[in-house]
Amino acid sequence: MTKKTVAVIFGGRSAEHDVSIITAHIPIIDSLTASGNFDVWPIYITKEGDWYADKVMNDLSFFKQSNYTDVLKGKKKVHLLFDNGLELILPGFPRWASPTGFSRERKVRIDVVFPAMHGTYGEDGSLMGLLRMAQVPFVGCDMAASAVAMDKAFTKQVLLAEGVPVVPFVWFTKSGYEKAQQSFLDKIAKLKYPLFVKPVHLGSSVGMTKVKDKKGLENAIEVAFHYDDKVLVEEGVENLTEVTLPIIGNETVEFAHVERPLNKSEFFDFNDKYLSGGKQGSGMHTQYSEIPATISEVQATQVRELGEKTYRTLGCTGIARVDFLIDNATQKVFVNEVNTLPGSLYVHNWKKKGVSGVELITKLVSLAEERFAAEQGLTHTFSSEILKRVSGSKVQ
Amino acid sequence: MKNLLSRYHPRYVRSLVYMMQASEYHIRDFLRWFWRTRDFLRVEQRKSLVKTPKSLLFLIAGYAVLFFLYVFAFGMLVVAEESWKYPAFLLTAFVAPYLLVDFFIGLMVLSRIVQIPVEYGILVHAKRKLKAHKGFRIAIAGSFGKTSMREILKTVLGAGKRVAAPPGSYNTPLGISSFIRSLGGDEEILVFELGEYYPGDIRRLCKLVAPDIGIITGVNEAHLAKFGSIGETRKTIFELAGYFRDRPLYINGENILARTYARTGDILYSRAGAGEWRVEDAKASLKGTLFMLRNGPQRIQAESHLLGLHQVGPLSVAADIACKLGISTERIGLGIQRTKPFEHRLEPKTDTAGVITLDDSYNGNPDGVRAVLEFLSSLKNVRRWYLTPGLVEMGAKKEEVHMDIGRELARAHIDKVVLIRNSVTPLIEKGLQEENYKGEIMWFDRALDAFAALPNLTVKGDVVVLQNDWPDQYA
Repeated sequence: MTKKTVAVIFGGRSAEHDVSIITAHIPIIDSLTASGNFDVWPIYITKEGDWYADKVMNDLSFFKQSNYTDVLKGKKKVHLLFDNGLELILPGFPRWASPTGFSRERKVRIDVVFPAMHGTYGEDGSLMGLLRMAQVPFVGCDMAASAVAMDKAFTKQVLLAEGVPVVPFVWFTKSGYEKAQQSFLDKIAKLKYPLFVKPVHLGSSVGMTKVKDKKGLENAIEVAFHYDDKVLVEEGVENLTEVTLPIIGNETVEFAHVERPLNKSEFFDFNDKYLSGGKQGSGMHTQYSEIPATISEVQATQVRELGEKTYRTLGCTGIARVDFLIDNATQKVFVNEVNTLPGSLYVHNWKKKGVSGVELITKLVSLAEERFAAEQGLTHTFSSEILKRVSGSKVQ
Repeated sequence: MKNLLSRYHPRYVRSLVYMMQASEYHIRDFLRWFWRTRDFLRVEQRKSLVKTPKSLLFLIAGYAVLFFLYVFAFGMLVVAEESWKYPAFLLTAFVAPYLLVDFFIGLMVLSRIVQIPVEYGILVHAKRKLKAHKGFRIAIAGSFGKTSMREILKTVLGAGKRVAAPPGSYNTPLGISSFIRSLGGDEEILVFELGEYYPGDIRRLCKLVAPDIGIITGVNEAHLAKFGSIGETRKTIFELAGYFRDRPLYINGENILARTYARTGDILYSRAGAGEWRVEDAKASLKGTLFMLRNGPQRIQAESHLLGLHQVGPLSVAADIACKLGISTERIGLGIQRTKPFEHRLEPKTDTAGVITLDDSYNGNPDGVRAVLEFLSSLKNVRRWYLTPGLVEMGAKKEEVHMDIGRELARAHIDKVVLIRNSVTPLIEKGLQEENYKGEIMWFDRALDAFAALPNLTVKGDVVVLQNDWPDQYA
């Protein structure tokens, strides 16, 4: 059987750069390799935006070297060619420098791209746009869904418009806030404390602050603006049960278990998610969460229904994870946010559902191909007379 | 070409010394490995060279010899004026790695000669110390199951007596002598595992430990490559019977060869019982093994953490011996309750994802494989995985043994069979195909790759057996 060539793109100019490295390896590259059905090309984007492709990077231990950035500097950067598909160009000796006049430059045609980037310039739709231009199937949500989901405020606006319950919120940009700070503070004053102040484009709880009273609000906004130029302030739910639902699929969707993070600190922060507990190096650890969540079957059903509605409203495909807030006092369920590339794909949850890492990854690759094939059937161009009718000098 | 050049890499010397150490400085085993190996740079995969005075001496001597040979070759090139100096230089440089092997063989022979009087002294001293020891001695011989039997005896008898047994795989005269040296003198029972590698080994060990009770756990193809024929293996193991003359031995009745050669009066043990003890209602699960032991009015409700019904026979032997040594049934029951899986012998481990791995990597014999498959096939409503690189030292029985494993895997309806590419696993695949295996076969080049892949292939509730692990000298 011919192996499919899959490029896994990770790293990038994002606050979640290191998380992306973990996701790319555990479980994506490890599972692609374990299946034996794929030729895996890791494409790593440095924090500075340099692109490298070298199979030594298929091993996570490469990135555990303290000097891996220096090692990379000694390598040649990869070039990309968009030629009705995507090709990697791995530079060898330039023709003029080769004693035999023979260039050892190598081209690798990519069958499917597996984006494994979190946050800006990757999960936010930028990379997806690039891959659409390249006409190559890619795993996960498409450009529009990724861009909407990346903006927590925009997501809430879209969901609200479609009747999906979300907690009351206020959003503003940095320039807007600087111009009309009091007006936004007045709007915020109408919200009930405690509040959460978040940069709208960042995940993994980076730059997020829980504010218990007015005192800490401005400082929290300042912290959030340190990471982003758009900030969301939303009501926190007291007596809260936080749950999350990983979903995969295109036309038909499959759910993993409803999972409940077991908060150790005041809110579920970066360290809880990626660094706490666990010894297997699985990236995402089971100790911090309860799978399946011990919520009532009625609530679990509501979570799944809202999850699917959210997934479809945003136009998600491939994979996403929808986070929920359950108010224990009122039993109300709110959609909190959508993550189009869940950290480590929430493989720990899928495994408990009976889907192995290899099965999950293989399914995601076929969903990518399915969506790509469906798109190829659409008409994107049509013949028009417009050029002939335009006034001005005619081509002879 | 790359493989050929690996003989000229500086690491070549270390690889040779590592392999001599792994082969316990046995010339025959070392040479077998040497002629089979292609790439000498990928040798230390599972373990690495342990720096002992002996290995360091070999390492330094090896580099010195190689240095001398190359200096000699270059010296010829520089000093000699005749035209033959070029081919002579090339020839010396080419054969240097092979001359080094000859040198090491000489060194091994020399060290063996030096060791003989030293080892003799150690043995005499150990024999003298043991003669003065009042402890009751139990000796275990067999192609397989010796360590499990030793650990079961140690645990069950330990519930009522002070028991000592050599640790790890101390089953050679030197290993056992070193254990004897460590004895305090107040031990009531001593349990010895007798290792058989060559004819006469068991006889020699019997003379050393002078056992009061003997147990033969079975005879099969393990170490067949060393013995040449199963008849030779059987004869060597039954040297224990020769030592006991007309006194009875415990013999594993579930092993056909051992049973066939049992003498009248020997005590056959099996999952049906041992001696006067009968087994009733035996059940095995992933939690352990439950059964009732009955001996006339005496009853023991046995609950062991050991996995598999094949453990019932050895546990019954331990109960029978314990009873004969005056340990109460309550203590025997407690002892059985304390038995738990030993390291790398059907040892269950559950990971954070809920996957249960049964580590049976120290079990590399056909009877052990059958027992594991019987247990694995008894587990219902789980996905069952079986990962193996096959068995080593099966000699002329290689094809038969591995095809049988394939057939049994198919008959046991194991869901996924993970095979490591080598000279024997295609035979397992052939056996699987012959029996119309319906599950999935997965291949990996190296066991380490398979181990790394497993967490990505398995899900909660899966049961994975890791059967046997090839040390570097067989890879």
